[in-house]
Amino acid sequence: MSEIKKIIKGCLAGNRRDQELLYRRHASKLYAVCLQYSGNDEEARDILQEGFIKIFENLDNYKHEGSFEGWMRRITVNTALEKFRSRHNLYRVDDIDMIQEPDPEPDNQDYAGLEANDLLEIIRELPTKYRMVFNLYAIEGYSHKEISKMVNISEGTSKSNLSRARVILQRRVGSYTGIKKKVANE
Amino acid sequence: MNEKGANIDLLFRNGLKDYEVLPPPGVWDGIQPSVKAKSRPVILLRVAAVVTVLVTLSLLTYRWSRELSDTNAGTEVAFNIPASDPLVFNPIASHKFSPSEKSDPVKTYSDILSEKAEPVSIQPEIRSSSSSEQILYVDGASKFSIANRESVRGPQLTSLNTSGSTQPKVKYADLQYFQENSVTKPKNRWSIAAMASPTYYSSFNSGSNELSKELSSSEQSIISYSGGLAFAYKISKRFSIQSGLYYSSLGQRVDGINSYSGFKPYDITKGDHNFEVLTTNGTVYTNNPDVYLSANGSDRILTAYTNDVFDPNKASLQPVNNSLSQNFSYLELPVVLKYKIVDKTIGINLIGGLSYNLLVSNSVSTTVDGNRYSIGTTRGLNPLTLSSSLGMGMEYNLSGKLSLNLEPTFRYYLNPFSPATGSYVHPYSFGIFSGVSYKF
Repeated sequence: MSEIKKIIKGCLAGNRRDQELLYRRHASKLYAVCLQYSGNDEEARDILQEGFIKIFENLDNYKHEGSFEGWMRRITVNTALEKFRSRHNLYRVDDIDMIQEPDPEPDNQDYAGLEANDLLEIIRELPTKYRMVFNLYAIEGYSHKEISKMVNISEGTSKSNLSRARVILQRRVGSYTGIKKKVANE
Repeated sequence: MNEKGANIDLLFRNGLKDYEVLPPPGVWDGIQPSVKAKSRPVILLRVAAVVTVLVTLSLLTYRWSRELSDTNAGTEVAFNIPASDPLVFNPIASHKFSPSEKSDPVKTYSDILSEKAEPVSIQPEIRSSSSSEQILYVDGASKFSIANRESVRGPQLTSLNTSGSTQPKVKYADLQYFQENSVTKPKNRWSIAAMASPTYYSSFNSGSNELSKELSSSEQSIISYSGGLAFAYKISKRFSIQSGLYYSSLGQRVDGINSYSGFKPYDITKGDHNFEVLTTNGTVYTNNPDVYLSANGSDRILTAYTNDVFDPNKASLQPVNNSLSQNFSYLELPVVLKYKIVDKTIGINLIGGLSYNLLVSNSVSTTVDGNRYSIGTTRGLNPLTLSSSLGMGMEYNLSGKLSLNLEPTFRYYLNPFSPATGSYVHPYSFGIFSGVSYKF
């Protein structure tokens, strides 16, 4: 029996040590996901907490088919979506038009020097609805059809949001790269 | 645009893949109660089952002992003796024989004594008793006892009215022997004892959980102590039930945790603690903002101030110690059954029972130059634990009422100190209790 199976078995038996062990092993990775989906640290913390409670409550539904980490990640993402839906935290469609169109992206953009924490910071600066669609499509790999159901928007809006998110991200990545190069040259 | 879009997607997908951010301390505290609620009924059910089994066994043992004494009484034969002269009696003077006994019409007291190995088989005959008579009982194993006849009723008793020429004399010493072995109510049923013991605490580690093995390998027992008052009530000649109130202090040393002082100027977190340390008996939370903790080569410490973020040597913190002391204090309410195996000047008892242990305080500290340096407390401990105990008590009677006691006792905790340890860690303790008891 693999170690993760033993830990899961222990969690199901109500073993506190295994529950804590499961948390400590995966909390950091899942907290990064929570930060990716939330605009502020407090929300991310709430998502992580609620997500883990769901993970423990639904552990008996995990059939040991596929990645356990992937299974936990899906629960965390769904928790983030539920949270945003319940708070009506999504931008209205007409809000999108208020966001200024970004400058055209320069050709042959060099992304070198960007670290994961820079990327996380950039993605968290996106408007909520763009961030949700970009995360679900580009990072998680859902289709526009699936996203439309998950976020309660049309497929067209999903595509449009993704497109706008990409443009904003390209511009911000360019800015970050430029700043980093400037700092490096100085 | 699509190609550029795909590039930016890849940049974020690959860049954020496997990215980890340490969550703020305290998130686990919010998860713990929800998870705990699910496992509590199982623990309660186990405790209830153990209590039920032990209580049932105690009752059955008590009942069995009572039945044994009743059975012995059922084989007794009674002789009438004149009350005016209790030192001399005539066992066969007024014996009325049944037809089956005609071949052996006279059975003297000395005859009966010679038949020690065989039960005396005589047809029952219940006679109206006289208040001035006493009865001597003889059972199959030649045990004798004297009682007032008024207290004897029932067909199991046979009265032998004896008179005539064969009148063996019974000396006073013999009679005293009979009286000592007579069925009388035990005197001094109550006793009070003051007991104290040094205690060695440790735990069994079962299962193949790597973390619990790793944690317990660096934990050492601290010699602790236990003491209090006990009250006992003698429910029969052999059995007594005991309870009381004890105070006990247990603890362990956790090695491999380096502590430093002087961290306060660098503490910028708003939480109530900076460090969490995993142990087999719950998680230690620091409450001293001046302390910095690190564990080399182990992930048992959870903190925002990891070694890659903060270096205690560069900050010139003062090293304090490389181990922590985890201490717990309990008030114990034992319910113990004692069975007297040997009842002489030095008596020996078999002791077994349960104890409810109420957590009254816990602390974590370390020492620097012989002084105690407070670190924090252990959270997630069970406020009430249940332990079973088994021991052998020796009792030296100084006088009829006062005695010295020595009780080596092994105690096994039915539920762990911390629910987090689950089924992997099984605490136990061993103590040699000594003290004085007074019977009244």
